[in-house]
Amino acid sequence: MKEFRFKIIIILGAIALSIYLLYPTYVDYQNSKEISQILEKKREEIKETDPEVTSETLKSRIRTVEDSIKTADPSIQEARQKRIKLGLDLQGGMRVVLEVNTGRLLEKLAKDPDQTFKDALNSAQAEASLSDEPVVDILARNFEEKGIRLSRYFGSVRDDDNTIISNLKSDAEDAVSRAMEIIRNRVDQYGVAEPSIQRQGSRRIIVELPGVAREEEAKQLLQGTALLEFRIVKDPEFTIAIMQNIDKVLAGKIIDDTTKMDSSLASNEVNKDTSTVQDTTKELSEEEFKKEHPFFSVAIINPQGRTADAFIKEDERNKITLMLNRPEVQKVIPNNVEFVFSAKSFIADNGNEYYTLYLVNKNPELTGGVITDANANIDPSTSAPIVNMTMDSDGATQWARITGANVGKRIAIILDGVVFSAPNVKGKIPGGRSQIEGMENMEEAKLLEIVLKAGALPAPVDIIEERTVGPSLGEDSINKGVLSGTAGFIITVIFLIIYYRRSGSVGSVALIFTVLFTLGVMAGFNATLTLPGIAGIILTITMSIDSNVLIYERIREELAVGKTIKASIDSGFSRALSAIVDSNVTTFFTGIILYQFGTGPVQGFALTLMIGIVASMFSALVVTRVILDYMVYKGAKITVG
Amino acid sequence: MRIFENLNVDFLGKRKFFYVISGTLFLFGLINIVFRGLEFGVDFKGGSEIVLQFSKQVDISNIRDNVKNIGLEDAEVKTFGGETGVLIRTELQEIPREVYPRIVSDIEKTINDNFPGLEKRVIDSTSSSITYQLPNPDTTDRLVEILNEEGFEAAEASVELDNRQIIVSVGIADWIEENLRESMPDNPFEVLKEDKVGPKVGRELKEDAVIALFLSLVVILIYLGFRFKFVFALGAVMSLFHNVLITLGLFSILYNVIPGLNLEIDLTIVAAFLTLIGYSINDTVVIFDRIRENMKIHKTLPLFDVINMSVNKTMSRTVLTGGTTLLTLLVLTIFGGEVLRAFAFTLFFGIIIGTYSSIFVAGALVYEYVSRSKKKVQF
Repeated sequence: MKEFRFKIIIILGAIALSIYLLYPTYVDYQNSKEISQILEKKREEIKETDPEVTSETLKSRIRTVEDSIKTADPSIQEARQKRIKLGLDLQGGMRVVLEVNTGRLLEKLAKDPDQTFKDALNSAQAEASLSDEPVVDILARNFEEKGIRLSRYFGSVRDDDNTIISNLKSDAEDAVSRAMEIIRNRVDQYGVAEPSIQRQGSRRIIVELPGVAREEEAKQLLQGTALLEFRIVKDPEFTIAIMQNIDKVLAGKIIDDTTKMDSSLASNEVNKDTSTVQDTTKELSEEEFKKEHPFFSVAIINPQGRTADAFIKEDERNKITLMLNRPEVQKVIPNNVEFVFSAKSFIADNGNEYYTLYLVNKNPELTGGVITDANANIDPSTSAPIVNMTMDSDGATQWARITGANVGKRIAIILDGVVFSAPNVKGKIPGGRSQIEGMENMEEAKLLEIVLKAGALPAPVDIIEERTVGPSLGEDSINKGVLSGTAGFIITVIFLIIYYRRSGSVGSVALIFTVLFTLGVMAGFNATLTLPGIAGIILTITMSIDSNVLIYERIREELAVGKTIKASIDSGFSRALSAIVDSNVTTFFTGIILYQFGTGPVQGFALTLMIGIVASMFSALVVTRVILDYMVYKGAKITVG
Repeated sequence: MRIFENLNVDFLGKRKFFYVISGTLFLFGLINIVFRGLEFGVDFKGGSEIVLQFSKQVDISNIRDNVKNIGLEDAEVKTFGGETGVLIRTELQEIPREVYPRIVSDIEKTINDNFPGLEKRVIDSTSSSITYQLPNPDTTDRLVEILNEEGFEAAEASVELDNRQIIVSVGIADWIEENLRESMPDNPFEVLKEDKVGPKVGRELKEDAVIALFLSLVVILIYLGFRFKFVFALGAVMSLFHNVLITLGLFSILYNVIPGLNLEIDLTIVAAFLTLIGYSINDTVVIFDRIRENMKIHKTLPLFDVINMSVNKTMSRTVLTGGTTLLTLLVLTIFGGEVLRAFAFTLFFGIIIGTYSSIFVAGALVYEYVSRSKKKVQF
């Protein structure tokens, strides 16, 4: 018995781990089923009460309901994050490959481009679409042939062609990071679940948007020009007053009055009893505090801080957005201001991730078009990271006025609706050259540089590959995949049992484990299941059978020679080993290559194939072995057909 | 229950016969590839492909005419899945120049019908979209909804509240969909799939696929060279070539022959071919493993007999595994849905060829090489 103990522990451990890893997938499946039932009901309800409702409004209302269900219970999100991810081909969505349009970028960068330049650029672009040579090189060659120096259009007169070429190339590289940052920012704000944004090579970006099946929505996210704004952050007194108002409305304290109250009046009223709110805070237990102050229990304010920035836990961000969007809350927020989130979250000392919520003016003081350049740098005197920003003359004049009038206040730098930085104005800035400080590290400074440039210099991108799968095809594919998988599995098991009798049943058990382990490992690695991936699992089942067949055939041969069952099992396994290892390793190699060169769904296939090979070898060589050995030990009758 | 017990067939002795079979299949496939060619999908050719699911049965020739009428003469139209699915494919990347004005006038007619005399300005027009500037944000919101309901794909240019710009897509897919919606108002459809691949991407994907196939053969050659002898590695890789080329020939022969089976070569098919390589090598390795073992046990037995004995001994395993795999693939071909059908079909035939070559060809190739080189192979 002792000899099995270790192996049995390993097997049981693997089973327990697989079940543990797969449990969230099961929970998520149940959750989605429930949620879609609720939503379907809601949809009917809305249609009944408001038959005139347009499809767009209906969609947005359903989405709000969905969001509120999902944010209400954090366990739903948790299960979703830990489940086996479904590929775009199974859940529907869009995959887009973007390429930075160097031609259009060059046109933007060129100083007064004339017809000669445009012609040269057009022919360079036409050539580049057929070859792998970068547009910059082709353009440079075109000019060289014509005897025109590049400095006529780019850089300064003193620069030689090579310097300009390398500068232009780094500009093109920059454009890719800029485009990526803009896209990431928008996708984050748009609320696409589990987006993936990857850089491929030097000029390409691969964006995967699960659940987005409308081309226009995606195009809006990917291609529109970015909007960079400078907006004044409201001072703490004003902000706190409004937040307290919101808190009261949400707690149901002034719900009756709000209709009568004008927004400015509301803030006055609350100002009066600020002190009482703060006094009682300390005595309340956590539960009571949540009830009394629904807003402040989510939006945390540092009482000692000099600002009124509220900090919101990462997973409660949607909750705040929902709170702020309620009509009764909207009524107590003055028309000329709005709440905006920080673009990035930070990790606090307690290990939680927080977003910052700012209250800013609705109208921008200035937009990003006036910025001519931005550069992340190290301040030589303090060695702290800084960003230098320059504006054109028009912008500089306005900037001097704005900064002059707002000394001591903060100006939020907002790209596409979220705050990237909110530096303090130290004094009036004449001449259009500003220095921004206060970044934690160089990375942050680099990000701000990208953001500032995004407003000035668009990063023109072209869609060069686009694949959309509608949600219904995805669902259909899952159903058919699972159906044929199950059918294949059952056929194989029946066959095994008929052909090998009792050892066949042992093999079937091992087969179940193979599938369980494969799925468990996939969930553990956060791997994506695609339709070819399902095919991969089905093939794994047959691979797993092969190992069993190899072993049983060998055992039969050994038995035929007249060996005892125990000896036959021993030598059967050891003789089949080399064939099993060699054949599986070669298949594994093709899997690696498939993974390297494949894209999207095909990669998913390669991954399941590789995991499946390992799992099937484990089941055949360890699980089957232990069960057979144990049966021998117990003196049970073993039949190999 | 057992099959092929004590099987003793002289496979090697009949190898000439199998060379003729393989050669014929090979040649037949090759002739077809040369004369009929291989049909590549949008993945490799570049172009647009859309799959629509109608709510009622559709007449495919009706749709074909419709697509022709809107200026896309080269488009390919065929059924997808059942009688309600339609696949439309064209190599075009964008709307042909002469059709473009028709689309614009269509869009503008819709705008005019709903908001007569609305002041609108075209501020950007590219090959794939056209952007209008409108007088006020409210009209913009309404118009986006209206255009979408009319079958156009429209969106606001930005999420700003005071946005006054509308982007309307004029891609090939949009153009086809909009027209089908209009001409068949009583048979609405849903877009199942939409792929658009640029020509450069298509070329790169093709290169990658060829590299992947080639590289996997090289890796197998190296690994088997290490584990066995180089002769065996060579024999295995040659029989893999044999399997892939015959299956590829079958693709060319059967293209557009079986209704409901779309045999274009795309990324999924390349995956099927790589799997086929993985599977057939599996098969061959098992037989070679037995040859290796028997050569160690029966040191004096001639290679001819060793190979024959090994193929006979492993026959039941080869047939059993091959049989179950084929059964599973058959299930997948029938129930796996449209997307997996071509994949499963490729593997189904590939594995038949693969099993055949493991039994009859791979060992024979090793024997031919060894008997010619006169060098003794030993493990």
